[in-house]
Amino acid sequence: MSLWVDKHRPRVLDDLHYHAGLSARLRALAASGDFPHMLFYGPSGAGKKTRIACTLRELFGKGVEKLKIDQRVFLTPSKRKLDVNIVQSNFHIEITPSEAGNYDRVVIQELLKEIAQTQQVDLSAKQRFKVVIINEADSLTRDAQAALRRTMEKYMSNMRIILCANSTSRLIAPIKSRCLLVRVAAPDETKTIEVLRYVGKKEGFDVPDKIAHEIAEDSNGNLRKAILVLEALKMQSTDLDKPLTIAKPDWETYCHKVADMIVQEQSPQRVMDVRAKLYELLSHCIPPTVVLKTIADRVVDQVDESLKADIMHWAAIYETRMRVGNKKIFHLEAWVVKVMSLYKHFFYDIDMSGFDD
Amino acid sequence: MKPFVCLAREYHLAGCITTSPIVLISRDAEAVAAAQQSSRGTTANSKGSEDNALWVDRYAPKRFTDLLGDDRVHREVMSWVKEWDYCVFGRRQGLGRGRKRPRGEDGDNLDEWKRPEEKILLLSGPPGLGKTTLAHVVARHAGYEVFEINASDARSAQVVDDRLRPALESGSAVGSSKPVLVVIDEIDGATGGSDHSAGFVRKLLSLTYDRPKKKGRKADPKASRPLLRPIICICNDLYATALRDLRTSARVVRFSRPNDIHLVRRLREICDTEGLRAESRALTALVGIAQGDLRGCLNMLQLIKAKGREVTEPVVRTAAAGMKQVDMTSTSVLNDLFSPMARKRTKDLGLTEEDEARYVRRLSREVESTGAMDRVAEGCFEYYATCHRHDANFARYLKAAEWLTSYDVLSGEMWTEREFALAEYLPFMFVGFYPLFQERGRPKLERPKATWDHHVATTANQEIYASLARCLRSAAARNHGDYRHLANGQILQLEFAPYLNRLISPPLNPVNRQIIRPCEKATLSRLVDIMVALELRFLRDKNDDGQLVYRLDPPIDVFVTYDGKRASDIAISKYAVRHLVATEIDDKLAAMRSEPTEKNKPKRSNFFKQRAINAGADDDTSLPAAKRSKQDHIGPAEKVAVDFFGRPIIASTAKASSGKEAKIASTKTVTKYNVAYRFNEGNSAAVRKPIKVSAFL
Repeated sequence: MSLWVDKHRPRVLDDLHYHAGLSARLRALAASGDFPHMLFYGPSGAGKKTRIACTLRELFGKGVEKLKIDQRVFLTPSKRKLDVNIVQSNFHIEITPSEAGNYDRVVIQELLKEIAQTQQVDLSAKQRFKVVIINEADSLTRDAQAALRRTMEKYMSNMRIILCANSTSRLIAPIKSRCLLVRVAAPDETKTIEVLRYVGKKEGFDVPDKIAHEIAEDSNGNLRKAILVLEALKMQSTDLDKPLTIAKPDWETYCHKVADMIVQEQSPQRVMDVRAKLYELLSHCIPPTVVLKTIADRVVDQVDESLKADIMHWAAIYETRMRVGNKKIFHLEAWVVKVMSLYKHFFYDIDMSGFDD
Repeated sequence: MKPFVCLAREYHLAGCITTSPIVLISRDAEAVAAAQQSSRGTTANSKGSEDNALWVDRYAPKRFTDLLGDDRVHREVMSWVKEWDYCVFGRRQGLGRGRKRPRGEDGDNLDEWKRPEEKILLLSGPPGLGKTTLAHVVARHAGYEVFEINASDARSAQVVDDRLRPALESGSAVGSSKPVLVVIDEIDGATGGSDHSAGFVRKLLSLTYDRPKKKGRKADPKASRPLLRPIICICNDLYATALRDLRTSARVVRFSRPNDIHLVRRLREICDTEGLRAESRALTALVGIAQGDLRGCLNMLQLIKAKGREVTEPVVRTAAAGMKQVDMTSTSVLNDLFSPMARKRTKDLGLTEEDEARYVRRLSREVESTGAMDRVAEGCFEYYATCHRHDANFARYLKAAEWLTSYDVLSGEMWTEREFALAEYLPFMFVGFYPLFQERGRPKLERPKATWDHHVATTANQEIYASLARCLRSAAARNHGDYRHLANGQILQLEFAPYLNRLISPPLNPVNRQIIRPCEKATLSRLVDIMVALELRFLRDKNDDGQLVYRLDPPIDVFVTYDGKRASDIAISKYAVRHLVATEIDDKLAAMRSEPTEKNKPKRSNFFKQRAINAGADDDTSLPAAKRSKQDHIGPAEKVAVDFFGRPIIASTAKASSGKEAKIASTKTVTKYNVAYRFNEGNSAAVRKPIKVSAFL
């Protein structure tokens, strides 16, 4: 029993709802017999993994859907044990090296070599090579990427690599130049609505126009989120006829609350209150960069036009610093204080340094 | 200098038996050695061999009454040692006297070996106050032989096994009839933090909790014996990470700085004995500079004596310039950063106002000497906003934030790029706080807690995320890889966790199963399907008020709970609903288990399921009418059938009653076979008896 997100996930290239041109190209590639290394990139929820799965199906046929999931233990140089989950079929293997944190290099080296050095034994297999899918490739460390680049050339006869990333910016150039880059753009609103209706039809109900529009707008091109929301709504009210509000994820609501607090009052006491809320967000494992972005977006919505650019400027600066540093809360609060100061100066429009002791 | 250090140690080891010397520690050794050498150079011809002894040793207290400092501390230590008397000496000592009756005399907190409640005493305090001396004096006074482990020994977990355990188990030191008392000096430098399972402290603690197999039975010689001798641990920094576990289970005694007057009086006596002329003012100044460090004072005096000078205030001040820096903890540094120097301290150091105004060098050195700059940073972050001074336009806050972020960026860069040459700049990042936030008369700052609290909360939540991810993965394994994409970090945290909570809390009305509406029935079955697939459960539990509740397991509802409040759009399902869902889940699971294809699926929380099944079997009324009528078809004999473990076989009946008569037939045909089963007979002494399989069914 699966969630709708998975249940109605297209399995073959023909079933994909959008990016028809891309599907055609993928099909051609799969048929050409000269399949390259690939890098799929695009925003979250755009359908990268769906397309990868469909391409594999095109390459190897139905056998690729027989998945086996198991855990492998890798030993770091310092003899620590790392558990990494591996999804594999007879024709491909799927890993998320970022599970191993800083030791992703070990996973890449050991696993890829092992796969690359064994040839496909199944004579009836459609292709002579195996495919390795690397998820979250943009969080690979430099070491891991460096380990990858040689392997990609050396074992081309036995193995193809498909990388899946949100953006290419953190991948080193040698990797990018070895791959065929495929950008999967997020579906626009009409496409999202189309998919929502499709899901509804398959489940035996009609998605009302209003709701479909709202979901599509809210999801901002993230189809996975859109379908999750639809299913959650359907659970809340079976016939979807009541006036429904689309629930935002709770961390987002909470971020907005923080933003409102910043705009309402600027005082040392408020700084402390905001700090408590920031701690709460961070302890829920919400990535600090996401927190900063969400709050900044919301603050910018509410302040005067002339302040917006400045606020974003400082958000960018503090996010850069945050990425280097370790204590994320320092930078978040530094930004909050900066915004409060900017806002206060703007509001009173006077230089208040004279009032200070 | 090296040979001298060794000499001093040897002297100390030999001296253990006869005197109670102060232990020389390597960090003092240099200054001391310098003093000693010069003293030898000048006075060797006049005085001879007696002068080779350090004053620190020569004037070390020999008797309990000689001890200098807070009497209450001394008595506390003594009374703890005396509490061991019952265990170590039997009822021999300390009872007849009537006074200082051990705390646990009435037997309340004494265990079967008559040991005090805390088996370890932890003495803490700044250096030079006489902690080690106290331990030795008290031990001797109470009739023990001291067995000491200090910084000159390795302090790894192995030492506990190799040296401590034999010493403790034999009960007395080699060549001595007295029982042994273990003194572990400078335990804060022990290897392997307390979280390290093989660490020294952990091992030490395990020593105290070891119990013998059982009384009366012959003890296994390998089994560890109980701890029957007292252990005194000595440390400078009570809050060192290595001591985290020890702190909670040892009796902690803190040393504080003795009153200056007593110190000056003692110094005066010594000066008189040594024939050293000393001004009272100078001695007071010396004590002030040394911050009560008696050892430091004595070394200083000996140095001055060796140079053949008199003790006057300027001499003391110049000589003190090279005195070792006192250990700074991060808390004391924080206090120095956020409040100006105490007037008394300024006077002690003889600083002019101008000197005091030059804070940068002083504070940066203090920060540097802590060696825990991250903790200072956390403290600065925690306290800068609690300042009372008005900050109308956030000018000072901005600066503080700037300093903190610069520190973090710099140290982040330093660690990732391994450019440790940058470390020199780090202390200056905090000095800026002094002019911005120093306030006289603010309450003493405590250790910053927020970071730790945050860390604890984060790890707890990470744990829940991890268990949810595990659930997703095992769901993926059963559903042809369907859920696996949702288990990836950010997707899980940002999208799936919040919506999953909405998915599993549909607005159901608390009804029992008979009168459920068809539309709700669909929702219910969908809910049950999802929860079963994801291995989410409602576990019955009691809340604080003793009420029965069902709580989610894993508790993924924390992801929609911020500030202790749940998201407003998610109704907390009532007890009755959760009960209904829980029983449905159990039925479903039971049905799945009985299906052959699901046989090899991992089984979770068997215990609970079994209990719930029993509960479900008890109230038949909760089954739908249709089900009940079908159950009647099956007949009473099968209904009360009990399996090998005494459980009612609800599984097969539930499945059978789900509508397939054919299945019922098949289950009935099973009984027709006559299966002879012969167990592989080995050398069993059990009574053998043929038995029918039906007896097990």
